Amino acid sequence: MPEAVPAARGRDVAVRAVDLEKRFGPLEVLKGISFEATEGSVLSIIGASGSGKSTLLRCMNLLELPNRGDLFIAGEIIHFDRGRDGQATGLDRRQIQRLRAKVTMVFQQFNLWPHMSVLGNVIEAPMQVLGLSRREAVEIAEAFLERVGLADKRHEYPAFLSGGQQQRTAIARALAMQPQVLLFDEPTSALDPELVGEVLAVVRDLAEDGRTMLLVTHEMGFARDVSTHLIFLHAGRIAETGPPGQVFGNPESERCRQFLSSVA
Amino acid sequence: MYQFQNEGLIDWAGPLLQGALVTLEIAVLAYAIGLLLGLLGALAKLSRVWPLRLVAAGYTTVIRAVPELLLIILLYYAGSQALNALLRSLGMDGAVDISGFVAAIAVLAVVQGAYMTEVFRGAILAIPRGQLEAAQAFGMPPWLCFRRIVLPAMLPNALPGLSNLWLILIKDTALVSVVGFEELFFTTQQAAASTRAYFTFYAAAGALYLAITLASNVLFRRAEALVRRGQATG
Repeated sequence: MPEAVPAARGRDVAVRAVDLEKRFGPLEVLKGISFEATEGSVLSIIGASGSGKSTLLRCMNLLELPNRGDLFIAGEIIHFDRGRDGQATGLDRRQIQRLRAKVTMVFQQFNLWPHMSVLGNVIEAPMQVLGLSRREAVEIAEAFLERVGLADKRHEYPAFLSGGQQQRTAIARALAMQPQVLLFDEPTSALDPELVGEVLAVVRDLAEDGRTMLLVTHEMGFARDVSTHLIFLHAGRIAETGPPGQVFGNPESERCRQFLSSVA
Repeated sequence: MYQFQNEGLIDWAGPLLQGALVTLEIAVLAYAIGLLLGLLGALAKLSRVWPLRLVAAGYTTVIRAVPELLLIILLYYAGSQALNALLRSLGMDGAVDISGFVAAIAVLAVVQGAYMTEVFRGAILAIPRGQLEAAQAFGMPPWLCFRRIVLPAMLPNALPGLSNLWLILIKDTALVSVVGFEELFFTTQQAAASTRAYFTFYAAAGALYLAITLASNVLFRRAEALVRRGQATG
């Protein structure tokens, strides 16, 4: 087990991963990842492309099922293993769905539902998955749309919005589930440079609010600013971990030093 | 005989319109059932369960290979024979005839379903993967995801193909006349034969088919505008 992440605001553990392994066929993507994130902390996962950071993030809400290891997240405890037939064991679909409602994701490509308005996108899962009434869902949705600065766009369709506005809609959609953990998978990588700032501002605002967030990003300056803790992945393993000052200022591993100097 | 020759379009207007109505009835029912078969077929073809894929592949292959005319005659004659034999063997006497109406709808629906299977399959495959992944990521179970995301998201892709199939179906209803069913084409043949005003009646029938098509185009355009309202182009 790695050392516990220093608690920023809360003290309870929100996420704990123990020896997670993930393989795609013969390709080992995650080779035993262990970390902890306390409630209210912002954990950024950095690393070169192909290092496994998106896969690790997708394991957090089971869009990818780890082959082995233990995961504790949002009150759910899951032990991953493979049966003799190679299928995942110890998982039932209800638990997966319950977990996903509590751990929501913001995608690189936004992945909004194009046949629904901005408001429709935000109220969809709270109504259909959580079973909220339309009135409750709209109330929550409008509060979060206000928060991301899109209250006046609520009746627009996603295709008529800029990339930045679409990503802010996606953030409101993820927030409207009132998740215990929020996942960001390179939220600004698909955006034009001039639109990156507005999305990062929203993420920063949420971080300052004390939300538990796991963030995969290529924005090193932002990760340094906003994170309480960082993980540097290399070839499926954690090569460096610590608070931003340490990882950026005084990295212990040669890999991490190389990576940081190549992206700086 | 003289009386017959004096008969004209006015006298036959009622039966012709009645025939057109029946044509529409057959088409609408066959289309509705076809939509259902097509959706099931597409889901079966995209399923992870191989027997389902096999059945669906067999269905679309056979149905699309055999002429509709042959299928109609086959179901109408052979079908009622088989049904009667079955009922007799169960000790339930009293011949059940497959009516022309039922045979027509059954065959046309099965044929439409086979083509719609392919239209829907393509339309579903064209949905960007990420939209489905987002539904999954928010904890939607498969049926909810199909109803709320897959179905509405694939409609813009499917509608052009579906409107094509509807227009083809309207014309295919004329095939039902071979089993003596009085839809538009059958009625037209009767009118033409009885009055010998061939051109008048076949032209009138053509005009009616055209009118149905034009009205359908308006409806499909509106439907397409509706399902595409979230898309920036078009």
